[in-house]
Amino acid sequence: MPGSTPHIGRLTVAVASGKGGTGKTLVATNLAVAAARAGSPAALVDCDADAPNDALFLAPEAPQVSAVDVPLPVVDESACTLCGACRTQCAYGAIRILGGRVIVFPEMCHNCGACVKVCRPGALREQPRRVGEVEWGRVSGEITGPAGVDVITGRLDIGEVKTPTVIRAARKRAEILGRTLTVLDSPPGVACAAVAAMRGADVLVLVTEPTPFGLHDLELAAGLGREMGIPLGIVINRDTGGSSDVDEFAVREGIPLLARIPFDRRVAEVYAGGGLVIDEHPEGGRWFEALWDAVRALAEGEA
Amino acid sequence: MQRIVFASGKGGTGKTTLTALTARLLADGGEHLALADCDVEAANLPIALRAEVVSSEPFAGGSKAVIDAEACRGCGACALACRFGALGPSADYFRAQTYELDPWACEGCAACVSACRYGAITMVASQAGEVMAAETAPGPMAFGRLAPGEDLSGKLVTEVRRKTDELAEARGIERMWIDGPPGVGCPAIAAITGTDLVVGVTEPTLSGEHDLMRLVTLARRFKIPVAVVLNKADLSESGARRLRERIAAEGLELIGEIPYDPAVAVMPGLLARGELTAYPEGPGMDAIRSIAAWLAERRSARG
Repeated sequence: MPGSTPHIGRLTVAVASGKGGTGKTLVATNLAVAAARAGSPAALVDCDADAPNDALFLAPEAPQVSAVDVPLPVVDESACTLCGACRTQCAYGAIRILGGRVIVFPEMCHNCGACVKVCRPGALREQPRRVGEVEWGRVSGEITGPAGVDVITGRLDIGEVKTPTVIRAARKRAEILGRTLTVLDSPPGVACAAVAAMRGADVLVLVTEPTPFGLHDLELAAGLGREMGIPLGIVINRDTGGSSDVDEFAVREGIPLLARIPFDRRVAEVYAGGGLVIDEHPEGGRWFEALWDAVRALAEGEA
Repeated sequence: MQRIVFASGKGGTGKTTLTALTARLLADGGEHLALADCDVEAANLPIALRAEVVSSEPFAGGSKAVIDAEACRGCGACALACRFGALGPSADYFRAQTYELDPWACEGCAACVSACRYGAITMVASQAGEVMAAETAPGPMAFGRLAPGEDLSGKLVTEVRRKTDELAEARGIERMWIDGPPGVGCPAIAAITGTDLVVGVTEPTLSGEHDLMRLVTLARRFKIPVAVVLNKADLSESGARRLRERIAAEGLELIGEIPYDPAVAVMPGLLARGELTAYPEGPGMDAIRSIAAWLAERRSARG
């Protein structure tokens, strides 16, 4: 990123997938706990602001909440000369002149402020408009060990569309906390919301399942990760054993396989009840300790 | 025209499998329908129904700023004007004295263009994706392909919807099924706008329930009724019981419970490879048949 300095000794890991429901939240929550227990203070950021679920598994104690606002231009009609400069400037078609009035469409506005700068009569000013919230707090040390996990949740207000803005606000909060490890639980997809979650990460963990849908969406997510220049690795979830098309893809593309989590009804049951697989499944500890080692190796190998 | 959208909030609950199978069952009964895959970031319905693309249209994107390093004097006025953190001193600023752009952060507002006194920044248009028209066994289909990292997924969803309307109208088809994106943000809003029914596909997990309720809140804003399908219903007894109570308390209709059935779980793969010769018999398929029948009835009930 231009203007940013790498934080020495700090690591940011994005967990993403392309396809929804492959196990991002399962991996992100258990990975954060495994890392904390191994001594790394961790911040887990739930960047799936449309459908945030991390706090269902790792509930922070006494969470704090702050609103996410965007600056929305409003028109002072007594000063407006209807010159149309704001409409011409707006790259998003969010300003129209209808019936002799300047109308701003909030859901189309990107809150860039360009219209305000070009308004000569000074008829436009910006007012905060709430689009979501960020909730954060520390999970009980009994679960995470003394290094601790802070869980930060970005939550879009229902009916709003500024998912990336809410994600950026949640990540900002994590930056302020300044933990050694930041785990970014990304939204599905490969559009602006996924980019807002993954941007600037040191390592990208792609969670997939060995199905045609899983493979197709993994290819898209891996393509995005590579274009963004982030070293990436794959976790195969619901692995049914044997070599799948996903294994072939990983070998062909030279992408390291970081972990396999088997297709196991007990994993699904633990997840269903909001439990941590690392504690409630006999193999869970081993899987996620090994994944944390593999993630660190990937980060160091590429550094 | 009746429009039904399969949505979920949470990803991976079975939207695409349910859309594909119920559409096929209807077509087996002689009724064709128009299909839209509105997950333009990771479209899987074309895979499940082995869509044959017949035409594609480019989908124009916004533009992104480009800095001419020759003309740039490194004053930083652009970075002050940019609200997206997309501009900063280049890595070798002390030698080159230039600023550079992170295209992943640029939202194309052009505020930097007006701020630059040296005319070093121009806006360059990009192609953001494609809208495809295709043929499938159950009927014509439209789907989208968004270029990675683009911020116009909602707009592309609207284009896919428009294309599907066009395909349906050309054939006199009166029924449209839409495979929706995960989440409740901009693409989800574009997918459910103007539909007659939201089929909320959920699973008996805490995450599934939490995200379903966010979807229900969104659908209510748009005054669209929600019917619920409980997939993987036997995954967690307590989870299923809690969801049934919640669905009843919210006054939603539960139109089917699909037990976890390995014969159904492998169907997306069989469909995608064209290897599905006969529907498996068993509790999973029985539930899907009864959901298809309910959806088929619904139109006649409305006249």
